[in-house]
Amino acid sequence: MINSIQSIFIGAVFFYFLDSIWEIGSIFRLEKFSKRLANFFILTGLCLHSAFLIILSIKSKNLPISTLFESSVFFLFLIVLIAVITKYIYKLPSLTPFVMAIVTVFCIASIALIRNDLILSGDLAKFWQIVHIIPIFLGYAAFTVSFILSIMYLTQERQLKTKNFGSLFNSLPSLETLDNLMWKTITFGFPLLTIGLVSGTIWAKSSNILGELWYLDPKVLLGAFTWLVYAALLHLRLGAAFHGTKVACVTIACFIIVLLTFVGPFLMGSKHAYVNSSIILEQKIPPDDVGMAKIEF
Amino acid sequence: MNLHTIGINHKTAPVEIREKLAFSASGIPVALSSLTQSFPSSEAVILSTCNRVEIYGTSPDNSLNKETLMDFFSAFHGLPKERFSDHIYHYQNINAVRHLFFVTSSLDSMVVGESQILAQVKEAYMTAASLETTGNILNQLFQRALNVAKSIHAGTEISKGKVSVSSIAVEFAVKIFRDFSDKTVFIIGAGEMCELVLKHLVEHGAKAVMVANRNYDKAKVLADEYEGKAIKYDLLRDHLFEADIIISSTAAPHYVIHTDQIRNAIKARRGNPMLLIDIAVPRDINPEISKVDNVYLYNIDDLQTVVNKNMDVREKEFKKCQDIINKEVENFMAWFEELKIGPAISQLRTHFHNIGEEELERLRPKLRNIAQDEWEHIVYSMQRTLNKILHKPARVGKEKAKNGGGYQYVETIKNLFGIHHKDDSKK
Repeated sequence: MINSIQSIFIGAVFFYFLDSIWEIGSIFRLEKFSKRLANFFILTGLCLHSAFLIILSIKSKNLPISTLFESSVFFLFLIVLIAVITKYIYKLPSLTPFVMAIVTVFCIASIALIRNDLILSGDLAKFWQIVHIIPIFLGYAAFTVSFILSIMYLTQERQLKTKNFGSLFNSLPSLETLDNLMWKTITFGFPLLTIGLVSGTIWAKSSNILGELWYLDPKVLLGAFTWLVYAALLHLRLGAAFHGTKVACVTIACFIIVLLTFVGPFLMGSKHAYVNSSIILEQKIPPDDVGMAKIEF
Repeated sequence: MNLHTIGINHKTAPVEIREKLAFSASGIPVALSSLTQSFPSSEAVILSTCNRVEIYGTSPDNSLNKETLMDFFSAFHGLPKERFSDHIYHYQNINAVRHLFFVTSSLDSMVVGESQILAQVKEAYMTAASLETTGNILNQLFQRALNVAKSIHAGTEISKGKVSVSSIAVEFAVKIFRDFSDKTVFIIGAGEMCELVLKHLVEHGAKAVMVANRNYDKAKVLADEYEGKAIKYDLLRDHLFEADIIISSTAAPHYVIHTDQIRNAIKARRGNPMLLIDIAVPRDINPEISKVDNVYLYNIDDLQTVVNKNMDVREKEFKKCQDIINKEVENFMAWFEELKIGPAISQLRTHFHNIGEEELERLRPKLRNIAQDEWEHIVYSMQRTLNKILHKPARVGKEKAKNGGGYQYVETIKNLFGIHHKDDSKK
């Protein structure tokens, strides 16, 4: 059953859902879907969302990442937070329709995980948890926003090139604005990813949490690959004649690698994953048991 | 008590006449006070813009009407009536109200849907209100007109989408570039359209301007006007990469800008986007260029297509706006007629009672020896009869006033019984 704390999250999702409808509606029929109401929905949703995470953290005296459900909710929270901040700082009302549509779908999907008993494997020292997981999550949230910005860029670019101007044409900002923000979100996410990876490396080596061959863990490898791809993107954009459309396309490709880093280890059976707690209890397994069911977020 | 408006606009009069009849900002207060002094207890508002000059007026005794307003125009501007009488339009009551609502909502403007007229009507009204030349009727009328216009702008698409080629060009620029202060605009050739686009871009913050023209002196003149630099026509290809926005409109019979030139320019610009606008016919810019990445090319047809599309949208919205206006005109007229129906009914009552009294006076000598109380019975009976006859028309009149149509009703009743206000007969 859903308990009263979880219903706060359901409430947040409900507001996100209303917001998505209003945000998308206001693109087409501004007179029916007022922007002010949409702002109310998104801010109320975000407040409920953060209240839920704060209550979870206080209850477990830990970051809200101990189950797959919790870390999904945490991740989605960071995406909405970054999107809302970007929207207000850069006066970019057209960002949230895209973000909220995607976030709402993922939120609804994450409700399905609400009763899961998947918990993070391994003993997580609180310090490392903070310096490893928070930067990486923030970095990924920034990459998600940059991915959404790239889609907006390509949409606007197509309309300008093909001279086929739809309802979105007026509500989307200029290419330069989008290009600029893609760049800003990536340069915001990249150092965070770097910090997360470095601290993760130190943690893995010092605590031996992933075993002797920690560097062969699929998630570690994919994480390093993600870092390389984004480093290459930054390098190209800074150095070569690499602007606009190409950056947007590569950003989308990079985000697919980010997703792969999430999902991949689950398919490959990494130690770096969420394990089914009931199995742990049954088998009383050591932390580096390879044979157990693992699900990666 | 009738509402009148007379005026001229861009559809009825050429600019030579309009400028003669226009009121300057300082002239309006003078005109208003002289008008209300000549016609005491009248109300008046003067609207004077570059496309129209209109006076809205009403007076309780109907001394303000088409003729007197025409005389006023003629006297104030010292222009014989014959010079402008052919260009003048005159509307009365419901038509005057509808006209004002149309004007304020910019359905009567040269560019339908423009928003400037709303501010102009507001200013005209505020000027008159501050001079206290508006009263109950014009206050109500203008406040309603402004509200109608606002709801039309907000509730319909009449003012959405640009409808001039130059503003569409700027709209494209706005969707490509965020900030124009660090952008360079390159004008190739000359012409009114180029200048218009340039002017819009400068208004949006563009600072750096380059001009190339076959005639170097012409280029120099335009460049100087915008504090830009003139470029020798033969060297224009060397400067392409410096430009973020190129507007081309030469009379050349062949392409002036070729694909490889732009490809090189983009390379030199490290992929920074370029906007090319080709207003020339025959075209100046090779259309193949639009295939180059990060280059956005529009020719005159592309711009015109968007203009036409936006015009269509406005035309479709016109009907919707008319419906809103008709409803609001009805509402106003109901209010206005309610004001008028009271006096009209007392007029009717006086008329009937006067007839009754006349008849009684004729009857009295014929009934020589009638007792006083008997005579009073007769008088009383006559008054009751008249009141009973009048009861129904009065009640219906009030209902009509509420639901609209009171005006026609009053007119019909007046015609039916031959009642004419002493000033009505002047018309």
